[in-house]
Amino acid sequence: MLTGNGFKKVFNVSGGIKAWHSKTAIGPQDLGIDLFNSNEEPLEVLKVAYSMEQGLREFYLTLGKDSRNEKVKALFSKLADIEIKHQISIYSSYTDLSPDKPSKDEFEKMVEARALEGGLSTKEYLDLFKPDLNSPTDVISLAMSIEAQALDLYQRVSTKIVNKESKDVINKIANEEKVHLASLGRLMDSL
Amino acid sequence: MKWTQFFTPAQSLNYNEAESYISQHPGEEITILDVRQPSEYQESHIPGATLIPLPELSDRLTEIDPEKPTLVY
Repeated sequence: MLTGNGFKKVFNVSGGIKAWHSKTAIGPQDLGIDLFNSNEEPLEVLKVAYSMEQGLREFYLTLGKDSRNEKVKALFSKLADIEIKHQISIYSSYTDLSPDKPSKDEFEKMVEARALEGGLSTKEYLDLFKPDLNSPTDVISLAMSIEAQALDLYQRVSTKIVNKESKDVINKIANEEKVHLASLGRLMDSL
Repeated sequence: MKWTQFFTPAQSLNYNEAESYISQHPGEEITILDVRQPSEYQESHIPGATLIPLPELSDRLTEIDPEKPTLVY
């Protein structure tokens, strides 16, 4: 149907979702979209994204504190550090675009914590994936699920956002999530 | 009637090829199209996939960009 209607390049993913071994995302198409307004200015988009990364970082830190397994503790701290890198990148995009150039502290005061990265709450993630928090493999798998969910959310938001600059900002963050997901995959393989 | 639709089968990509195609292209440059039912999409989908169930596809083709490579499942 697509090729007959002018679509230039169409690929059939053979085996469909059953053959898909990488992380998948869950939820309806509008899950988490309400965190972003479709008319949102790029600076507002960056604030929402920052608050989600912050939420995830705190989530990892809390889980790390609760774990008794030293290897897992170290892993959570590593995951939390990666979120700092994302936050720095988002803050740097904000200062590039903002005429006010707020300091990082000033910027953080403007950001309100709304939801975890990917649009679900901490409890929803834990209920959903039921990870064994003393197993490094389970912990990375949880992180990969969250990143897949985040990548999915950013890409769905990107199709809804009208403002071109906001769209670029979201696409940049989505592509960073993709790289992050791939690096978690490598970490999993190294265990 | 557009007869070409019956004679131009889409190229198939296996899991490894599809995975590497998606990871090598920025999300905004390709479309991952999920043509299953909403309940199936809700349960599990490839991150970034757009949902247009097959029964609705012919009426909703304008929602996707024909210029972008499209991976369908």
